[in-house]
Amino acid sequence: MKTERNLIHFESGIDLESGSRLNKFDLMVETYGNLNKDKSNGILICHAFSGNHHAAGKFSADDSIGWWDQIIGPGKSIDTNKYFVVCSNNLGGCSGSTGPSSVNPDTGEIYGKDFPIVSVEDWVQSQKMLTDYLNIEKWHLVVGGSIGGMQALQWSIAFPDSLKKAGIFAAAAKSSTQNIAMNEVARESIRKDKDFHGGDYYKHNVKPKNGLKTARMLGHITYLSEKHMDHKFGRKFQDEESRVAGDVDYQVENYLQYKGEKFSDLFDANSYILMTKAMDDYDASEGNSGDLEKTLSSIKAKLLVIGFESDWLYPPQRSKEIQLAAMNVNVECSCLILYGKQGHDSFLFASKRYEKIIKSFIES
Amino acid sequence: MNISLTKIIESWITDNSKVIDFGCGDGSLLQFLIDNKNVNGYGVEIDHEKIQQCVEKGLSVIEQDIDEGIQDFVSSNFDFAIMASSIQCLKNPHIALGRMLDLSKQCVVTLPNLGYWRCRLNLLSGKMPVTPNLPSSWYETDNLHLCTIKDFEKLCADEGFVVNKKIFLNGQGKKGTLASLFPNIFSSEGVYLLERK
Repeated sequence: MKTERNLIHFESGIDLESGSRLNKFDLMVETYGNLNKDKSNGILICHAFSGNHHAAGKFSADDSIGWWDQIIGPGKSIDTNKYFVVCSNNLGGCSGSTGPSSVNPDTGEIYGKDFPIVSVEDWVQSQKMLTDYLNIEKWHLVVGGSIGGMQALQWSIAFPDSLKKAGIFAAAAKSSTQNIAMNEVARESIRKDKDFHGGDYYKHNVKPKNGLKTARMLGHITYLSEKHMDHKFGRKFQDEESRVAGDVDYQVENYLQYKGEKFSDLFDANSYILMTKAMDDYDASEGNSGDLEKTLSSIKAKLLVIGFESDWLYPPQRSKEIQLAAMNVNVECSCLILYGKQGHDSFLFASKRYEKIIKSFIES
Repeated sequence: MNISLTKIIESWITDNSKVIDFGCGDGSLLQFLIDNKNVNGYGVEIDHEKIQQCVEKGLSVIEQDIDEGIQDFVSSNFDFAIMASSIQCLKNPHIALGRMLDLSKQCVVTLPNLGYWRCRLNLLSGKMPVTPNLPSSWYETDNLHLCTIKDFEKLCADEGFVVNKKIFLNGQGKKGTLASLFPNIFSSEGVYLLERK
């Protein structure tokens, strides 16, 4: 698989939805496969909240496997032998694109808490700039899960002529009250970490690791289903040798401790706050006083909306809402509810049916 | 679906209309109507394999149990709702029919006739009918609510559904004189175009 990783600089900057402006910014971008002559085989992947540009394969020998490697690759559902697949780290992230932990070129200091609020609309806007940079007029498909699915939806609303199809998986047209509530608990645990320093922890050479860890542990509970957790861990005790923390009893505790710890080493706390805020604030129909049908009426792309039965963070009903509103305004739209035992995370994992549906949708 | 049935439905559906096909199967009828009538079509199906075939055809398909999900279809401005050979599989056919007429101007319904003479012969011999358009044994059929032509028309009258058009097919799946004259005995399938009073 031909893979490239580039940091692309946008000297023109970007005006954000909030009214703020980034005078310059960078996007970290990974691409797989080759763009064909007429530039018609591009597929844009939008990552979920804690994902990044590294969607498939291994960029170098010691690299981790990409977050959607089960779906993207040679001969896979999103076939890199046939399509030119692009994934960029979202603005405000912490994997190479400009974010709170980057240096502000205007001041020479790390942005920290001063990094402006970004939105799903801003991400899509920056991805459109990337699209122009790549000289791609129309994506064959823009696709993503969770908040990546929100971006795919926003793409089809904001740039109806710039994509043929959109895949919106385990997503919603807006975050629910419960989604916001969960995210607020996560943010609060970060803000109350003694090392947070109001978001300026970089200056103190510390990281609010504990807060970030707790936030991520809560997140993981919401990403899994009750059934899957029960199946995976049950009430089994963790054996002593592999305990990651002293006071762990059950396997599920060990799992959360391990995942939380690992995440807190890698992720930036300000990015966490920023990303969850973007998720909470997204409401596709905001500009039309909550009228989703009106919002979707400009869509020209064909939509594939997929929900997962065991997902209680963005349950299947949220997918159906998008489909119904789209159908009411004559947008071509399919809606499937897959079994997906891994809860909200189901969109990440390949299953026979999921793989076949994605492949057929791309090729139909 | 046999070719006469497809042709009848095609002749009733107007060009460029918005159509929803409940129990759309592999999407063949929808595809035919899109190709020949330029309809804006949506299918509703529950079977995974058939949904897959719809996606392969590039159709808009909704995975939904009709009994459970038809209440969710609100304010859809359809010109036609189609329910071809599926009404007898529903838990609440009368509720679904009413709902279909709420969301569309007209409704095409096709149904197998339990009063067809071969069904009657089967029953006379003491067995559940197995005929070309009711091919499954009693223990493996999806049919829950089979009815005769008379039964169905009584339901329409009771519920206030107006029969705009009806065509009866014989055992060969074609329009026939006997089937038209005495549908309750000689038609194996009824095809209706309904609307609300």
